[in-house]
Order: sequence, then structure tokens, then C-alpha cells
Amino acid sequence: MALTVLNPTTESPARDFELAPRIQSLAGKTVGFISNGKEGTKGFFTHLENLLLSKYQVAEVIWETKSNYSAPAETEIIERAQAWDLAITGLGD
Amino acid sequence: MNLISEKFDLDSIEDVQEFYHSRGWTDGFPVVPPTPEAVRACLDWVLMAPDELIGIEPVRERTITAEKLAINAVMAGCLPMHFPAVIAAWMAMLKEEFLLHGTTASTGGCAIFIVLNGPVRNEIGCQSEFNVLGSSDRATSVIGRAIRLGLINLLEVSPGAIDRSTLGHPGKISYCVAEDEENTEWESLAAIRGIPPEASAVTVFAASSPRQIMNEWTKAPEEILDTYAAEMKANMRNYSIWAGNYAIVIPKQHRDLLQEAGWSKADIANYLFEKARIKRQEWADVGKASVIRDKGDFEYCALASPEHLLVVAAGGPAGGFGAIIPPWLGTKSQAVTVAIGACVDCEV
Repeated sequence: MALTVLNPTTESPARDFELAPRIQSLAGKTVGFISNGKEGTKGFFTHLENLLLSKYQVAEVIWETKSNYSAPAETEIIERAQAWDLAITGLGD
Repeated sequence: MNLISEKFDLDSIEDVQEFYHSRGWTDGFPVVPPTPEAVRACLDWVLMAPDELIGIEPVRERTITAEKLAINAVMAGCLPMHFPAVIAAWMAMLKEEFLLHGTTASTGGCAIFIVLNGPVRNEIGCQSEFNVLGSSDRATSVIGRAIRLGLINLLEVSPGAIDRSTLGHPGKISYCVAEDEENTEWESLAAIRGIPPEASAVTVFAASSPRQIMNEWTKAPEEILDTYAAEMKANMRNYSIWAGNYAIVIPKQHRDLLQEAGWSKADIANYLFEKARIKRQEWADVGKASVIRDKGDFEYCALASPEHLLVVAAGGPAGGFGAIIPPWLGTKSQAVTVAIGACVDCEV
């Protein structure tokens, strides 16, 4: 018995996430962290901050933490991030 | 009515199964072939055009249309009469406070617990008594499954894709109950949450698996509810301490005793709000001493407020077995109740 059936998935093109342009050097740059706020982020980002400052001559590291680790970052955080040269986001699981 | 979705011509129902399974479009069980006729019947039932926008998942900006929901509902086994509840559940899940992306992506592995209230329960043949948290009847089974198939196919909530659950739980197959409004004196869950009692409604709640309790050795409301409170406290110690919604499913044997003593759902909520509390230092008993720090004397309540308790009357006529259903994670996702058949373009 021949059957005509329908596609159950989203067919409209989804918006792709794009990576920001790569930078050549970390020296003298302002790096921002956007933490999801989970327990494990503290040790991870602390270690990363030390590495960036001591080994890669980063000028400044700025920490931001989302209020809800399962939701996108607040608009205010995204606006402040515009002043950074580079943003690093991370999970704490 | 012109359907927009891509069409496939296949030779047999067996071919349909392999075609859909091989593309990751199922939950692993066989599906009902979503033919144009079956999908149109669902859309006719709700008087919706195929491209009617039900909502947009904001994080990934995915549009959810009536046609796509109908296709997934048919695949799940829904008849047209089941489809209004599916539409309403999606409208509820797409409310900002539900945080659909977080609830479906989290390692916490929650499922969408759905409670039906109002006349629709009897119109579509729901059964609110025996095995109510299992496969109690066709209607609740297929409505719950339709939600899961829609998540898989419209938002890519497949294991290892958007769904990053460490464990998940069986409610992720289907997790829908109809409240037993006939065998209780209490107001329905939806009525308490602001829906007129003559209307039908859906409540969605991002929830962990049910945790069953049993107490058949007392008639005292306080003692019955202490057993529920103990399980809520156990969840706070062993899973998550954060306050949020909790659902409790109260079977007839417990309901009769509570009602005879004059306890309302509000009385139950107020009692559990006071009793379901632990101190952070209790984490030392369950292997979590390292995160107590200097907050050992801090007291935490299971409920963000008494109104955060979702009391559901359901379950077989005999047995002192109830259940608590914990939240996915505190108040990060909030339970949402919407009326079935309400205008999707109107703010209720």
C-alpha cells in the first residue's frame, strides 16, 4: 500500500551561530569571561585567568556571571562584552 | 488546505517505520504514518491554518507552527480530538518563564509533566485512577508522546544533540495525567491557577521522575503529609536544595482522609511549605559536606511559596501510595497553566 507522508522536522533554515573573528595575539588584550555560574566555573576560570595574565600577557580579565545558568546571558552582559577584545564562555558541570 | 511540509511517497507502512527511524525522527517506538489526510484532520479540529504560528523558541529562534505540531501529534498516535491539548501544552511551554531550551537541554534530564483539567478529560477518554503515572489511557499516553516527538523533531531535542541529559527518566517517553476531578471535593489544579472551572486547561511543569511514598497507617492529615514532606526533604538533600514548584499526586485513599478532616489544597500547601525544609548542614549526611561552607545553619524550603505546590488528585481507588514530583531545578523554570482553545494571539 503506497503512502504519502510528511516531514515532521523544522524545514525553515535555522539561524547559524557564528564564531567571532579570530585574533592574532592575546598580549595587551581585554578578555572577558561569561560564566554560567556553576560551582565548577570558579576553579576553571581562576586557573584560566592566571594563565592568561602570566603566560599570555593579557592586559585585563573581566568576569561576568549569568544569573540563570540555563538561560542565555542577560542583555546587559552582552552590552558590556562589546568593550572586550575577546570573550570566553564556559560550563561548570 | 495546502500543507507546506515536504512529502515522501513510500511503499508500505513498514517502509514508513524504517524511513522515519533511520532519520532520527522517532522516539524508538513505531509511529503512525503522518499522511496529509490525518494531519489536515487535526488542523480542521482546531480550526487552524497549517502555517499558524503557535510560538517561537527564543534561544534558537525556531518557529513552531500548527502543521508541524499536527504531524508530530499524528505520529504519536493522536486523534484530532487530542490535538487541542497538544497545542495548548506547546503554548504553555513557549512562555518565557518555562525556559524551554534550558529544560530540554540540561544534564538534569527532566521531562515535561503535563496535567489536564476540565471537560476535555472526559471528552477524550482520560482515565485518572489506576496506574495514573503509567500508561493509564490512550489520551494521556499519546498527548505526552506528541510533546516528546515535537521536541525531537522541531527543536532537535534528541539524546546527544540538544538533549544533554545524563540519565533522563521514563517520563521523557510520555508524562501526562488527567486530574481526577470527579472523585474529589477539591478545586482543580487549573482552577487554583486562575482558569475558570468550566474551561479545559493544560499545566506544564519541567519535572524530575516521580518519587513514590506510602503511608497506610494513620488517619491524621499531618502524619500523612509528613510522609510527603519527608520525600520532598530527601529530594532536597539528594538532588537539589533549591526552592521551586513541586507537584504532589494524592490518591483517593489519602484524599478521603484529608477531605474528611476538612483540609483543602491550600491547607496542604501551607502545611508542606512549613514542613518541607532542611538545613544546609544536612548535606553532610549525604556526601555533600564540601559545599556546605559557612552556611550550615541556613534553612531552605522546598517551595518558593505555598502557591508553588501543584496538588494533583489522581490515582487508583485503593492504596495509600502517593508521589512527589520534584522540579528540574528550583525556580529556573516555572510551571505554566493555559486554557485549551484560547486564542493564541491574545494575552490571557
